[in-house]
Amino acid sequence: MLKMNHLSKVYRTEVVETYALRDFNIDVKEGEFVAVTGPSGSGKTTFLTIAGLLETFSGGEYHLDGIEVSQLNDNARSKIRNEKIGFIFQAFNLIPDLNVYDNIEVPLRYRGMKGAERKQRIMDSLERVGLSSRAKHYPAELSGGQQQRVAIARALAGSPRLLLADEPTGNLDTQMARGVLELIEDIHRDGATIVMVTHDPELAARAQRNVHIIDGQVVDLSEEPRFHSHPEETTQSQR
Amino acid sequence: MQISPILSALRHHKAGTALIAMQIALTLAIVCNTLFIIQQRVAHLSRPSGIDEAHLLRIQNQWVGQHGDYAPLLAADLATLRHVPGVVDAYATNSVPLSGGGWSTGLGLKPSQNGPTAMTAIYFADDHTLPTLGVKLVAGRNFRADEISDMPALSKPTPPFVIITRALASKLYPHGDALGKSVYVAPDKPSTIIGVVRRLQAPWTGNFAASFSDNSTLVPFRLITNGTNFVLRVRTGQMGNVMRTAPKALYAANRMRVIPDDDGVMPFSAIRAKAYASDRGMAILMAVICVMLLAITAAGIVGLTSFWVGQRRKQIGVRRALGATRGDILSYFLTENLLIGMGGVLLGIALAIGLNLWMVTRFEMQHLSLWYVLAGAVALLLLGQGAVFAPALRASRVPPVEATRSV
Ligand SMILES: Nc1ncnc2c1ncn2[C@@H]1O[C@H](COP(=O)(O)OP(=O)(O)OP(=O)(O)O)[C@@H](O)[C@H]1O
Ligand SMILES: [Mg+2]
Repeated sequence: MLKMNHLSKVYRTEVVETYALRDFNIDVKEGEFVAVTGPSGSGKTTFLTIAGLLETFSGGEYHLDGIEVSQLNDNARSKIRNEKIGFIFQAFNLIPDLNVYDNIEVPLRYRGMKGAERKQRIMDSLERVGLSSRAKHYPAELSGGQQQRVAIARALAGSPRLLLADEPTGNLDTQMARGVLELIEDIHRDGATIVMVTHDPELAARAQRNVHIIDGQVVDLSEEPRFHSHPEETTQSQR
Repeated sequence: MQISPILSALRHHKAGTALIAMQIALTLAIVCNTLFIIQQRVAHLSRPSGIDEAHLLRIQNQWVGQHGDYAPLLAADLATLRHVPGVVDAYATNSVPLSGGGWSTGLGLKPSQNGPTAMTAIYFADDHTLPTLGVKLVAGRNFRADEISDMPALSKPTPPFVIITRALASKLYPHGDALGKSVYVAPDKPSTIIGVVRRLQAPWTGNFAASFSDNSTLVPFRLITNGTNFVLRVRTGQMGNVMRTAPKALYAANRMRVIPDDDGVMPFSAIRAKAYASDRGMAILMAVICVMLLAITAAGIVGLTSFWVGQRRKQIGVRRALGATRGDILSYFLTENLLIGMGGVLLGIALAIGLNLWMVTRFEMQHLSLWYVLAGAVALLLLGQGAVFAPALRASRVPPVEATRSV
């Protein structure tokens, strides 16, 4: 589903070149649930933005669903994001000017879906995250956990093949985090491929596979204990 | 396609939306009415005088000292002028079109009529007047040389016959049968209409003669007084020469006169420019105000949209992440502006018509043509789209990765 070979990402500013990813290799199979861990600044978000076609990379290859994505133009990338990929962000990223219903509708409209089908999908996904009664609410009128569930509903409504989540529970307390993770596991059971960045060892433990990133490179921990926490990681996770 | 979510999102930006819509509405109302006034000014100042202005020159002569009888002096001057090289013809009169000063009187159809049938300008004329001015007869005939009599200043003119303009003729005799009929210039003695000319404008361009600016009456008199207007018809290309040689010839014939330096010798192009200077100035001023208003409105739209784009960078990134193309983002802002613009324009149309109605009652304005309002509305919508384009393009260039970088 998602395969990166010798991929590198360089951020250039006037004075420095930062290798956010270097000789980065990963292969995520269709239907897999992968948790990505690693210290702060190691390149987890960078990996996810490249995987989600939000950003281009500097070298190497990336095949998404069998397509070499570096050849694609901006519109083609938008189309793939819209049809194949669902995003869940740490900061929820709902559009504050739109109510819950309209927020979930955004990607469906960009897909050019008919009104009736949009409505059906929005109601279904709201039902799945248990927020049917909040369709007319605005993001500011919801708790953090509820906002993240709306974001999940928004990703869900497009029935993505690949769900990318960047610390989806980072801004939530333990109980809400558990609810969100259950929803993600739900989506996984429906057949979607999941890549989730997390600082929380407990959440990472529930994935099928853990990928550890250090200094822009993958360290496979499947042979080692399922997780180990770096000292700086625990402090960072409190942010 | 995405009108309803744009509208609901706009409800969260009421102040900015209302501000721009109001600005568009006011601009539309003011610009429509101003353009309409400009158009009327331009129509006013470009109306034909009926005379062949390009070939005409006016010389103002003032006798000084004791001369006794002015009649032979006048005859001698006319003979002198007609012999100046480059001069085709010449005549003497009390006043000319566009000059700003002249005689007006009321005309009746009956003796000692109560209240005039029509107002008219009075021009003293002789047999040379029509050929000199290049004014065309449409009916009847010109004066003959033996029909012109001397008229001392301050006496009431009682012409035996007159030549009038077509506009005046149809005012006096709406059935088109004015020729040969009588009209009362003096209260008691009728004058016969022996000729009708196509057009000859009155001397006044302001409000005073607005209701009778094309009503003129030529009377067969030489004005015998110490001041005279000479009108010269000049051959093509000779205007500059004649302006120098004609006054010299007059001075050579008789030094006891004054031809004022500033406006004593004026071609009709200059007389026209002077007559309409304030009208033209007003039209230009109004046009400048229109352009400034439009510029301010465009700047307001650019400013507010730029602010909104900055404010919404994050959600633009989110939309891009969710699958919006650059084109989708561009069209979002264009559509948003079009919706605000249409709101403003609807309000503006009402305001424009209201403003016009107010001016109709207050200042005798004409009713604003709806085409002006519609054209103005379309122009403002286009202005809005033009103004919003640059910020919208900037919005479309917000990278999708903006969604992940929370600052
Ligand atoms: N736009 C950018 N310009 C320059 N450097 C960047 C940019 N984005 C990320 N980086 C750098 O790339 C490296 C990886 O950043 P990234 O955000 O991927 O880390 P992360 O693993 O997600 O960290 P965290 O756990 O704190 O979210 C960091 O050194 C960071 O400073
Ligand atoms: Mg990160």
